[in-house]
Amino acid sequence: MASVHKIIVIVGFISLFHSAFSAAQHRSYLRITSQEFTALPLDIIIQAVVSLFAVIWGVLNIAGKLREIPAANELNNIKWETQRNLTSFYVFNHRGRALAYDFVPTPSKEDLEKLE
Amino acid sequence: MMPSSAKLKDIKPEPVAYSDVALRNNAAVVEYCRTSMAALSGSTAGILGLTGLYGFAFYVFAVVILWMMFMIKAGPTWHKYYISRQSLLTNGFFGALFTYVLFWTFIYGMVHVY
Repeated sequence: MASVHKIIVIVGFISLFHSAFSAAQHRSYLRITSQEFTALPLDIIIQAVVSLFAVIWGVLNIAGKLREIPAANELNNIKWETQRNLTSFYVFNHRGRALAYDFVPTPSKEDLEKLE
Repeated sequence: MMPSSAKLKDIKPEPVAYSDVALRNNAAVVEYCRTSMAALSGSTAGILGLTGLYGFAFYVFAVVILWMMFMIKAGPTWHKYYISRQSLLTNGFFGALFTYVLFWTFIYGMVHVY
């Protein structure tokens, strides 16, 4: 979706530049034929205003997603298991590891003293 | 129920807690759009060769159009994204006006004077 809006912005910018160029050309044409400037031709005005709207609409969608402001909204999506899941509180060194099939008991203090 | 107008805010039915991060995120998005709108509509006003009060009227027109676009984008559930619609319309009005005038005069000079 975002690429569509990017294309809208780019095309709108090109169209806006084109209308600016047309306006400058119209102005120089009036200068050459020594006419008085009253207003731009209607097609240039319409092109400029329509491309302005297109670019604003594209920028509005490019700018980013709006987030929902009520505080509960984002917390409601989090499950209790996720919220309790804090890596800092993980404990691996507990007696449950004695149940593992390849458990090797650490030598007690007495055994270490016998070795010496 | 959210109070829909400023007068109703005095009799709050229940306090609503807002997420600070989401509020700041939305404010940043709105500010970005507003600045872009000021620059672009200033350029357009310069292209159209507006002078005097017509230019400022065009600015007000562009601000209202941007506000309507915000409303269209948010849809009927706008109170999920903004606290109030009125402040969305009026916030940063004069700050963006300076950007507008800068681009207006610059593009007017580029297109119509030189």
